[in-house]
Amino acid sequence: MDLAKVSNEKKLDLCRWYFRIGFALLPFVWAVNAIWFFNEAFRKPEYAEQKHIKKYVIFSAMGSAIWLVLLITWVTIFQLNRANWGETADYISFIIPLGTP
Amino acid sequence: MTDVLMKPIMTIMGIFIIHFFIMLQLIGGGNGERTKDQMYEKIDGSSACYRRLNATHQIGCSSNRGGSTGTIHVCDSKRDLNFLLVNGTAFPYIPVLPVKYFNVENLERMIESKKVSGLVLHLNNETLKSLDYFTHDYQCPNPYSSLTDTCNEVSTWNPYGTGLLYRDIPFPIFYIDSYEEVLKMRNCFEKFNNFSYESQSDRSLCSLELKSFMYATTNTPTCRRRSNIITNLNPVKFCDPLGDSNIWASLYPLADGPRRNETKPLKDYKYIIISARLDATSMFDKTSGANSPVTGIVTLLTVAKYLKEILPIEIVREKKTNILFILFNGETYDYIGSQRMLFDMLKGYFPLKGAAEDNILPVIRPENVSLFIEVSQLGNSKDRLFVHHLTKGNEVLGFYEKLVEYGKPLLKFDNVSDSLPPASLHTFMKKIPTFPGLLIADHKHSYSNHFYNSIFDNSTNIGFQYYDVLENDDISIPTDSIQQLIANLSETIGKSVFEEVSQTKYNGVERADVILANELLYCYLEDPNCRVHRAIQRGNKLPKIPFSLYVGVDHVTNFMTSFTSLTLGWLTGVVEKGDVNCTNKPRNYAFKFYNMSKSIVDLNTTLCYKITMNTTEAVSPAFIMPDYNWTSGEFSTWSESTWSEINVRMFLKPSAAHEKMSIAIGCISVIFSFILVYFVKSRSHILFTPPLPTEAPTDC
Repeated sequence: MDLAKVSNEKKLDLCRWYFRIGFALLPFVWAVNAIWFFNEAFRKPEYAEQKHIKKYVIFSAMGSAIWLVLLITWVTIFQLNRANWGETADYISFIIPLGTP
Repeated sequence: MTDVLMKPIMTIMGIFIIHFFIMLQLIGGGNGERTKDQMYEKIDGSSACYRRLNATHQIGCSSNRGGSTGTIHVCDSKRDLNFLLVNGTAFPYIPVLPVKYFNVENLERMIESKKVSGLVLHLNNETLKSLDYFTHDYQCPNPYSSLTDTCNEVSTWNPYGTGLLYRDIPFPIFYIDSYEEVLKMRNCFEKFNNFSYESQSDRSLCSLELKSFMYATTNTPTCRRRSNIITNLNPVKFCDPLGDSNIWASLYPLADGPRRNETKPLKDYKYIIISARLDATSMFDKTSGANSPVTGIVTLLTVAKYLKEILPIEIVREKKTNILFILFNGETYDYIGSQRMLFDMLKGYFPLKGAAEDNILPVIRPENVSLFIEVSQLGNSKDRLFVHHLTKGNEVLGFYEKLVEYGKPLLKFDNVSDSLPPASLHTFMKKIPTFPGLLIADHKHSYSNHFYNSIFDNSTNIGFQYYDVLENDDISIPTDSIQQLIANLSETIGKSVFEEVSQTKYNGVERADVILANELLYCYLEDPNCRVHRAIQRGNKLPKIPFSLYVGVDHVTNFMTSFTSLTLGWLTGVVEKGDVNCTNKPRNYAFKFYNMSKSIVDLNTTLCYKITMNTTEAVSPAFIMPDYNWTSGEFSTWSESTWSEINVRMFLKPSAAHEKMSIAIGCISVIFSFILVYFVKSRSHILFTPPLPTEAPTDC
């Protein structure tokens, strides 16, 4: 969708919905929201709805950043300890690598 | 005008190009070999060392995923190997080493140097002659499942055992016995590698790729668990339990009948068990077990035939004592077969599991066994044999005295009390210390077989030579041959068992069949298309290589097991008289019916045999008990890793400079292509005429 052809109200509506959907454990939606509406929020001349869009963009960016940090931490911890955790680690794995402890 | 001409020309050219490619495919054989694979030269006839696991450890070898590569270095002496480990500059290396130098010391040095990424072992004629021992089992085989105090560091059963079979080796090892393939590697090595070692890393070098990537790691519980996880998106089987089938047969049927396909079990019998082991192993995917287990198996089969001849069914019925012949499988790996047999016996599952009460066959429990005779390695003796036992019971000593008596003058038996080499009997005595058992072997304190569980325990090791003779010709088989020893021992055991059952002396003149022993040894050690195997089945011709004696994984039945079971069935079977329907339908649980030859002399006359032989599962109880405690050490826990590909390839690895140049050219061409595309795009309005705006329809 080309944002240039959408009315400002519609933009706010979209941005708000993307922000809400992100709460359903979908950090990617937040990341998309933050990037997609970044120009609208910060680089366009001011308009009425921009304040709200700005708010949603910032929160989406923060949300996805927190998610990113959490994911990286978890993946690191998991990969380092997978062999030591033994049974537990196997049960929470979807794909078990071949030939590694 | 030109447009009209161009179109057909383009079409014709297109057809030509397609034709061209099809022709190329046809000329090239169309074998679909990928260009990147064309740089390799395949090395055939190799046997890999692979990975096995038990409850706590992994043993054996594995390559890296996608194969381990290294520079070839053909070593002919220990000095060559030392030179490589100290002075080699183009590591990782893959030494090509004669088997003689494969020992703990050299292997440890290779591992410590970190310059070795794989190992190829080969055999040349001079090393075979000078090979005094080659055995990689433990000095005390099956240390964790044998009775304690039967083997100690001062006196070990297998003194030359290196234990390498049970080591976790960090690189792949292959054994190659084809001389041509070794020569291929040697020539390539001489041409490219074997000069000016200081500058080796700057040259193109002949290299090997060893592929034997193993899927399972850590231990059996881990790989079993991983194979069974249901949340797994990509279900892979990581390992399989070792196992196959035990073979058993009774000298005379355990039940009366069948009448209208119903049998009546003969209850309250005592049983004398004659047993032997059925399997061997080695470091590589290749076995030869002339001394252990073939001599034992052949003796058991010869005894079976001899007893059938001398012991009449009336005595068996009158004395209520029957003979059971049992061949245990997987004994090399912590007595898999006997552990399972005892487990089944104690649960009342032997000989049939799940038979309601015992209305088909009588249930046989360990307390029904009055004597257990195990035949072990016999190949290194001429006339002196040793009877090992642990119990002080009268049955055992009484039987020993019978052996001594009937063995005269051909065989001498020595009584070795308080001693028991690794044997299936360990399993029974561990659970039932008073179990009346003895073991007959050619050794007293340690194996006289210096090639125990190795690829060199072959017919040469027991001095076997086949004599192509038939009935009544047995004079031509020398009296000091292994065939005669086996026949003499079979006869002695047979007569002793006769007296044990009938309580009267054997006064007949019947001799054990040395021709059968000769044929059977030939079947197992040289050619599986031998007369006995042609007598018992009508299958296709088999390759002229001995059967593998490795127990294998539980869902595959070995040739060894099926042929041996038929042979035992044939030798203990009863010929059905009259016009009989020789099929196994409707299914009867007490008997099987087979059309088999009358004898090895008369292969073309087939008779219908009623056979008591059957097999029972030889998979460790650890794998069938749902709540087995893996750390208890009670049962064998061996499993074998799965893999997808095992092969060896040789290739010429380019020099470092060549490799760097290739990657540099690749990078430069990528960068140039980007630049070019950028310029073309930015000047597209000059290079290409802009498309004409489509005309609007006139009649709109």
